Amino acid sequence: MTDRPATSERSYLARTYDDDRFAWTRSKRVRRRLVVAEAVLISALVVLTIAAAVVGADRGWLAWPWSIALLGFVPIHSFLNLGIRGLYDRSERTLDEHQRRLRDESYIAVRWPATFVTLAAVLAVFAASLMGDTARGLMAGFLLWFGASLLPYWHLAWMLPDED
Amino acid sequence: MVYNRMAVLRAERQVSRKDLADEVGVHPQTIGYLERGEYSPSLALALRIARFFGLPVEAVFSLEPLPPLSETVYGRTG
Repeated sequence: MTDRPATSERSYLARTYDDDRFAWTRSKRVRRRLVVAEAVLISALVVLTIAAAVVGADRGWLAWPWSIALLGFVPIHSFLNLGIRGLYDRSERTLDEHQRRLRDESYIAVRWPATFVTLAAVLAVFAASLMGDTARGLMAGFLLWFGASLLPYWHLAWMLPDED
Repeated sequence: MVYNRMAVLRAERQVSRKDLADEVGVHPQTIGYLERGEYSPSLALALRIARFFGLPVEAVFSLEPLPPLSETVYGRTG
């Protein structure tokens, strides 16, 4: 059994997540606001995509909302990830036992909601293909699947206490 | 729940949270969780922490609330 501590290997990514310049992202208040912002962004895009499919809007019409959402998502998710010290993105060997536990607990906590949202994604694609608009179905399905993959991040960011 | 004397021992020996964390191989925030009793360490981590303080593991960690060190010392010397 190795005696080397889990956090003895500090990758560049791990050092970024521990950088004190981003300490402001680690307060509970900021983390929760970022979760709400990201959830609203993804939900709004899902609603817009489904609405566009229902009213039969021109496909190019969705390019702007998707582009704006992507531009908004990147910084929001970057700050959110900094707020949870990147527990889902860092190499296993850079996490200590408590960090692994936090990561695993959030993953387990959202497993059923994530399963349902993923199932909704499949249903969205299936329903859209039946209506002859597979492209928009794939777009909505992708967003739902993507949202499901974000649930552990949101749960962890929401539940983590303030650091001291 | 596992109770511990880590905060008292660390203060007594003037060891920073980061120094202890580096020595035992965890994140400094994890030391905070341990000191506040919000996380129970694995056996390996508890042994590493006890070894750092040069004490038997039962002097640092306990399944029962630990009496104040002053009471323990007074009881032994009085």
